[in-house]
Amino acid sequence: MLAYALRRIAQAVPILFLVSLISFGIMQLVPGDPAAMLAGPNATPAELAQLRQNLGLDRSFLVQLGIFYSNLFHGDLGHSLILGQPVLETVIERSPISISLAIYSLVLTVLFGISIGMVAAMRHNRILDQVAMVIALLGVSVPNFWLGLVMIVLFSVQLGWLPTGGYVPFTEDPIAWLRSATMPAISMALMQIGLLARLTRSTMLEILGQDYIRTARAKGLRETTIIVRHAMSNVLMPIVTVIGMILSVLLSGSVIVETIFAVPGIGALLGNAILARDYPMIQGGLLFVASALLLLNIAVDLVYAWLDPRVRLQ
Amino acid sequence: MALIKARLLACTAVAAGLLSWGTAAAQAEICGRKGGDLVFGMEAKLSTLDQHVNAANATRNVAMNIFETLMTRDENMAPVLDLAESLDVSDDGKTYTFKLRPGVKFHNGKPLTSADVAGSFARYKRVGIDRSALDAVDRWETPDDATFRIILKEPRATFLESISASTVPIVIVPADQSNAEPTQLKPIGTGPFELVEFVADSHVKVKRFDGYVPNKTLKGISGFAGQKEACLDTVTFRTLAEPGARTAALETGEVQIVEDVPTLSRERLTKNKDIKVVQLDYAGLNLTYPNLSQAPTDNLKVRQAILASLNMEDIMDAASDGAFSLNPSFQFPGQTYYSEAGSELYNQNNPEKAKALLKEAGYKGEKVVLLTTRDIPRAYTTALVMSEQMKAAGINAELLVLDWPTALGMSVNENKGWNFFFTTWITVTAQGGAQSLRNLADPSNVHKPVGNKSDEEFMKQFNILSSSPDLEKRKEAFAKAQARVFDQVMAIPFGAIPKIQATRANVEGYVPFFNTRVSNVWLKQ
Repeated sequence: MLAYALRRIAQAVPILFLVSLISFGIMQLVPGDPAAMLAGPNATPAELAQLRQNLGLDRSFLVQLGIFYSNLFHGDLGHSLILGQPVLETVIERSPISISLAIYSLVLTVLFGISIGMVAAMRHNRILDQVAMVIALLGVSVPNFWLGLVMIVLFSVQLGWLPTGGYVPFTEDPIAWLRSATMPAISMALMQIGLLARLTRSTMLEILGQDYIRTARAKGLRETTIIVRHAMSNVLMPIVTVIGMILSVLLSGSVIVETIFAVPGIGALLGNAILARDYPMIQGGLLFVASALLLLNIAVDLVYAWLDPRVRLQ
Repeated sequence: MALIKARLLACTAVAAGLLSWGTAAAQAEICGRKGGDLVFGMEAKLSTLDQHVNAANATRNVAMNIFETLMTRDENMAPVLDLAESLDVSDDGKTYTFKLRPGVKFHNGKPLTSADVAGSFARYKRVGIDRSALDAVDRWETPDDATFRIILKEPRATFLESISASTVPIVIVPADQSNAEPTQLKPIGTGPFELVEFVADSHVKVKRFDGYVPNKTLKGISGFAGQKEACLDTVTFRTLAEPGARTAALETGEVQIVEDVPTLSRERLTKNKDIKVVQLDYAGLNLTYPNLSQAPTDNLKVRQAILASLNMEDIMDAASDGAFSLNPSFQFPGQTYYSEAGSELYNQNNPEKAKALLKEAGYKGEKVVLLTTRDIPRAYTTALVMSEQMKAAGINAELLVLDWPTALGMSVNENKGWNFFFTTWITVTAQGGAQSLRNLADPSNVHKPVGNKSDEEFMKQFNILSSSPDLEKRKEAFAKAQARVFDQVMAIPFGAIPKIQATRANVEGYVPFFNTRVSNVWLKQ
C-alpha cells in the first residue's frame, strides 16, 4: 500500500510541472494587457510603457519563465499585479472558504444523490423511480445561476430566512456560516446530486441483476440485508471514484455561484484574476488548485485501493 | 497670480451655492444622528486601495472616504483647496505656495506636514498612473512643516485642474510611504473614515476617525471637498456584483445603499415605501472613437458618412433601457465648458447623406470592424445598434466581440484590426474641458492618428484650452476643439447616462455624486 502511495505521488510531480508550464505559456499567449487593465483606457503610451516596465511585463518570455521557476523553487508564487498581495498567501486565505463550501455541497450531494438513486433503483419502473429521475434530470438541467437568483428571491426577499449573500467563516460563527453557505452550497450541489443519483441508480440496477444477488434472494434473505450487506460494497466502488471527481469540481469553485452570492472563494479569485489578466495570480492559483486536486485524486485512489486490493497490484 | 486666486474664490462661492442640494444637513448640525452601521452594496469588485496606481471607480468609491488631497474638486468639478488652507501663486505663474491646514492628523496619529505632501507627490511621480499631471513641475520645496511649494518649468493655466483631478488623485499619505511599491501603499489617510478591514473582492470596512479635522471653508460637503463628518460608526462596502442579488439585499435591508440599480428594477424599487431611489442625471458619456490608422476609417469622408448615418436616440434607448439624455458635447449641461459647437453633426439620422458621402469617399464596401465586449452590456448594445444603422446606410459593418481585457488591450496597443472602440467616459468627462479632450490630444491619442499626431487645428485649440490664463478664451477654445472633433469625426458621443442608486428610507443626507460619499450620511432611528 505504501509503495502504491509513493508511486502515485511520484507520478504527480511531472504533472504539476506540466500544469505550471502550460498555465504560464497559455497566459503569455492569451491576448489582453494587465497594464491596460490597471491604467484604464485613457493612459498615454508612455504611461503604459512605464507601467509594463514596473510590472516586469516588458521582459522576454524566457526571462519571465526563468524568474517564475526560480521563485517557485523558493516557495514563492509571486505577487498579484492587481491585489498587491503574495499569491500563495492569498490563495491560502481563500482556500478555507471554497473548501468549506465544497464539503457542505459534497455532504448534500452524497446524502441526496445516493438516497435518490437507491430509492429509484429499489422502486425500478414504478412511480417513485420516475419521480426520482425527474428530480435528477432537473438537477442536471437547471443552470446554477438561475437557481441562485430564484433562491435569493424566495428565501431572502420573500421569506427572509437566509442572507442574500456574503460569507461568514465557520470558525467565527457556525450558525451564521450555515446561513451564508446554504444557498451557494445548494446551487453548487444540485447538478452533482442529479449526476450521482443517476449513477447510483444505474449501478444499483446492474448489481441487483447479478447472480450472487439472485442467489441471496433465493436463500430467502431480507431485501434490506441484500442491499446493505451484499450490494452496497460493490455499488460504492464506482461511486467513490465519482465522488472524488465531484469534489474536484466543487473545490475548484464555481465562479458564477461565488459571484451571485458574493463569496470570496478560489473560484471568484481566479475568475477575477483571469478577467484582469493578473498573470502571477492565475499561474500561482492554478498551480495551487492543481496540486490540491492531485492530492485529492491520490487520496481517492488510495481509498479505492483499500476497498479493492486488486488495484494495488496493477 | 491674482486671476487664479480670484478663480479659486469664485469656485468656493459656486460650491457654497450648491450646498442647498449638496447636502440636506449643511447647517450647524451636519449629522442628524451619530452612530450606526451602514452597509453599501457595490457593483464593482475592489482589488486595491492604492489610489495612486488604480483608475478603477470601485477603488475611488471607497478610498476617497479614507484619503484626502492637497486640492480636490467641488460639486461642480471646479478645483478647490482640501488639505491646504491657502494658495499663493507667484506673479510669473510658476510658483504655487500652499499652506497646510493646521491640526490635520493621519489615521496613525501623526500630524500632517509638508514632508508628507512632498513624499506623496514623489511617489505619484514615480508610480502614479496619471503622472503626466506633474509633467509641468520642475521641483517642489518644503520651506517649513506647514508650507509646500511647487515650482513649474513654465506657467500652465490648467495646472491646478491637473493636480486636483480625481480620476487617479494624488492622495496624501505619510512620508514613510513614499517608497512603497505599486499596490503596496498602506491605506493610512487623513479622511473622515479609517480602514478596519479589507478583503479583496469581498468587502472593505471603515470606521469613524475620531481625530478627523474637517475643512470648514465650506459648510457641508461639496463634491470631494467641504466640511465632512463621519456620522456613522462604521461603513462596510460589500461587493455585490450581481444586480439581482444587489437589489434583493437592499429590499431585505441587508444593505442600506446600493449603486447601479438596473433601469428595469428602478420602477419596482420606486413603488417600495421602504426605499428611496436617487439619481445623478449626468454620470457618464457613452461614446465610441474611430481608428484613424485603419482603412476605411482612415478616410474622413467615410467617418463623416458613418456619423451622418447614426440615430442617437435609438442607440441610447437600447443601450440604457430608456434612461438617457441626448448630449451633443463632451461635457454635460451645467459644466463650465459645456458647448453645443458642432452639434449640427450630432444625431443626423440621415442615411441618404451617408450614402452620398460614401460615394464621394470612393467606398467600395470595405469592412468596418466595431470592437466591443459583452462584459459591458452597454458597450455591446451600442455597437450592435450602431452596426445596424450603418448597414442601413450601405456600410459593411461587422462586430468584433471580445472579452473586456482583450478588447481594451487591442484598442490600446493595436493600430490594426479594428475601426471603432466602444467605451464610457465617466471621470474623464467629469474632470472638465481640457481633461475630457485630453484623450484625443497628443500624446494620448486613443483614436490612433497616423504617426500618433493628432489633428493640427484641434491641437491648436487644445493648447489654448490647456494653457490660456483667460477662462473665456479657454471656453472658446473648447468649443472650437469640440466642433473640430465632430467635423473630423475623432470621437462620437452618443449621449449621457445617469447613475441610479437607491437607499433604504431611513438613510439621510446621501446625495449621489460621481463617487460614493458616506460622510454627512446618517441613519434615522
